[in-house]
Amino acid sequence: MKNKWSEMLDTLSVDQQFVVKAENDAKMDKVRRFAPLILLVVMTAIGAVSQKNFFSWANIVNIMYQMSIPLVISVGLSFVLLLGSIDLSIEGMMGFAGSFVAFLVANKSNGNNFGILGVLLVVLIGAAVGAVTGILHTKARIASFIVTYAVGSIMAGIAVLVYRGTPIQVTDQMFVAISQGKLFGIPYITLIAFAVFLVGAVIMNYTAFGRAVFAIGDNETAAASAGINIARAKIKVYALCGCTAAIAGVLQCMRLKLGQSSLGTNQMFPVVTAIVLGGGSVSGGKGGSLQSFVGVLIYAELANWLTLMGVDTNMKKVIQGVIIIIAVALTVTHDRKTVAK
Amino acid sequence: MADILFETKGVGKIYGTNTVLHDIDMKIHSGEVIGLIGENGAGKSTLMKLISGVEAPSMGEMFYMGKPYKATSIINANQQGIGMVFQEQSLVANLTIAQNIYLGREKKYSSAGIVNWGRMNRDARTALERMDLDVDPGKKVRDIDMATREMVEIAKVLDVVTEAAEGRAIILLDEPTTVFSDDEIQEMYKQIRKMKAAGNGIVFISHHLDEILEITDTIYVFKDGEETAVFPTKEADMNVLYEKMVGRSTTGEFYVEAKQTVPEKDVVLKVQDLSLFGAFNHVSFELHKGEVLALAGLDGSGNEDVCNVLVGQEAPTAGKILMNGKEVRFANSYQARKNGILSVPKDRRDEGMVSILSIEDNITISSWNHLKQGPLLSSKKLKAAAEKWIKEARIKCPGLKARISQLSGGNAQKVIFARALESGCQVLILNHPTRGVDIGAKQEIYRLIREMTEQGHAIIVLGDTLDECLGLASKVIVFRDGMVSGSFDCPVDGKPSQQEVVHFMM
Repeated sequence: MKNKWSEMLDTLSVDQQFVVKAENDAKMDKVRRFAPLILLVVMTAIGAVSQKNFFSWANIVNIMYQMSIPLVISVGLSFVLLLGSIDLSIEGMMGFAGSFVAFLVANKSNGNNFGILGVLLVVLIGAAVGAVTGILHTKARIASFIVTYAVGSIMAGIAVLVYRGTPIQVTDQMFVAISQGKLFGIPYITLIAFAVFLVGAVIMNYTAFGRAVFAIGDNETAAASAGINIARAKIKVYALCGCTAAIAGVLQCMRLKLGQSSLGTNQMFPVVTAIVLGGGSVSGGKGGSLQSFVGVLIYAELANWLTLMGVDTNMKKVIQGVIIIIAVALTVTHDRKTVAK
Repeated sequence: MADILFETKGVGKIYGTNTVLHDIDMKIHSGEVIGLIGENGAGKSTLMKLISGVEAPSMGEMFYMGKPYKATSIINANQQGIGMVFQEQSLVANLTIAQNIYLGREKKYSSAGIVNWGRMNRDARTALERMDLDVDPGKKVRDIDMATREMVEIAKVLDVVTEAAEGRAIILLDEPTTVFSDDEIQEMYKQIRKMKAAGNGIVFISHHLDEILEITDTIYVFKDGEETAVFPTKEADMNVLYEKMVGRSTTGEFYVEAKQTVPEKDVVLKVQDLSLFGAFNHVSFELHKGEVLALAGLDGSGNEDVCNVLVGQEAPTAGKILMNGKEVRFANSYQARKNGILSVPKDRRDEGMVSILSIEDNITISSWNHLKQGPLLSSKKLKAAAEKWIKEARIKCPGLKARISQLSGGNAQKVIFARALESGCQVLILNHPTRGVDIGAKQEIYRLIREMTEQGHAIIVLGDTLDECLGLASKVIVFRDGMVSGSFDCPVDGKPSQQEVVHFMM
């Protein structure tokens, strides 16, 4: 068999070959890391050429607005996927957070008016439930997709119990102000989403915890033998993911001024796909906050472009599926040892 | 003697930059039982892998029945008449004995995709009877005991190779007797003699020299991947085997013995009557400041399990661990590190390196808690720590931010050592610290170990060879079958010889 290395076989010692190979791997790795960025540029270029409105300020704001909620979800989910785990409780958590916050702030169903305190309480509950999920996952050793599915189901159920069948309409002034307010033309919801993203990025890239998550996702045995507290890191990750899912639920409630269990429906898988598009991996150890951002942006641009082109909703689904398969196939490692599961 | 069935000429294997097997010439005659002995890592199993088709040789040629031989896989080797019984059992526990025997060969028994289990069971019974085994082939493997499993495994291999080359097959047995009682070993001998009488060639690996002397015709001794002696079994005795196996001792200079420290009085770690059910029993020792303590023993003798307990990977069944006089218990390696025990794992690539992180991160990973500025990691402190160790450990690398996967074995190992030193842990457990690194890097690692003890660290080392244990340590504790069988003081000018110690290992 011949490949690009065959002519170097006899001219280099095995030692030198190793160095050449390692350097080549590093180079290929860099290319792969930039692939999502290239995809983003191509996507943007296609959009700009085919639709003159694509680059209008109004449309740019529209794209940013569309990506707000997915971006917030992606903050916590990026950590979970980095570990190589999954959090299926996000949708249920969003439904719960949206419903419960609607119950707590000024609304048409009861006399509550806890305002910002209610929001903080819901976000805190999100983090606490996430932490419990993490404890069940690490201490009771229940597989992540099972335990998170169960917790998600519990939260979605509680959401309906909160409003006893009739979704709560929100009248809170703060909610109305935030959902309609803009700064330099950018909606407050988008600004909040970007702020959450920034906090997540700092945690991921500049704290010992964030770096431990990378280490665990890449090689848990090695991280453990280096004396990293694996269980604690994982619990923190689920707490963080619960927290951002709750924030996403609250933002969703602000947008619709309605609290109901279905606020989270079909919100999670598009974000998983977006993170993978950005260079993350469902088997862990790959990606990062910036990669997730790029992924979410690509996904939002794609959806926006298809809408501008006037593509039929069902056709849109087909095209999105095809593009995702192609993009992911191009960006993943094609290593023989890599097992796709 | 009878004709040659199988022959290797100058066969060897290189992994990366490391030669693990070199220039092996072996002849297997029809009706011959070959005994293969050597220390751990001497290359016995590697040779078996080359013959049985698990791996391809990097050099040399092999011949089977006079023709050049090449096997691309285990199945391919089986089809030619060569089969191997692996050290770790390879039967699938939730399938029946018959299904295991014909695993991958069901075609013979199926028509239109439906397998005729009755016919398969009948044939399986014949295969088992060939080994005088009276078990129901319809039984699930999980329901039979370990010794029977081993015999079924041999029956399976025997059936495969007999089908391909009756009476001229090669059967490789890698430590088949580990799960057997004395009676079962006798039964095993009987079966080997039967295979032999049929004209097959057999290779038998064992650490029990009495078994080797009992059953084999010719003995090959391996040492550090080379063939150091070949002689007929009738000319051998225990002492000759010991001597050939350990070979010449390396000079003290190689192990930087001039810098070996005399252990201080203070006991850092004390292990009292420690036991782990099924691994080791009643182990006690003291580890002093500045001491290098080697735990010598064959694979599975319990020395590695002791270390696993010390870093919290396993919970001991009984006994006490005391750090600086205080009793401690660790639920995981994190708690062990907090209490001052950290290990440099054996399998660097799988257990040590975090390959997506930079060299800097890999050096500092065990110390992130100290290298902070407020809640965030301090890039200045991280950089300073990494730079210091790259200089001190002479790590050759393209830069601090380069990924550790770009480093060669020796340099990557030095990164893991730097991590252990930076962690500030008092007790460092070095699990095969020089496995898979070249000779130059080995010496640098020995030098680093000496520096560690000079700084007052206490070290437990599981050496790659007995020679290494004796060269590095100021005290050696020898393990055999989960018990401490002997202990030797190893001052610079009074090291015991390998022959003295190896008696306690086997």
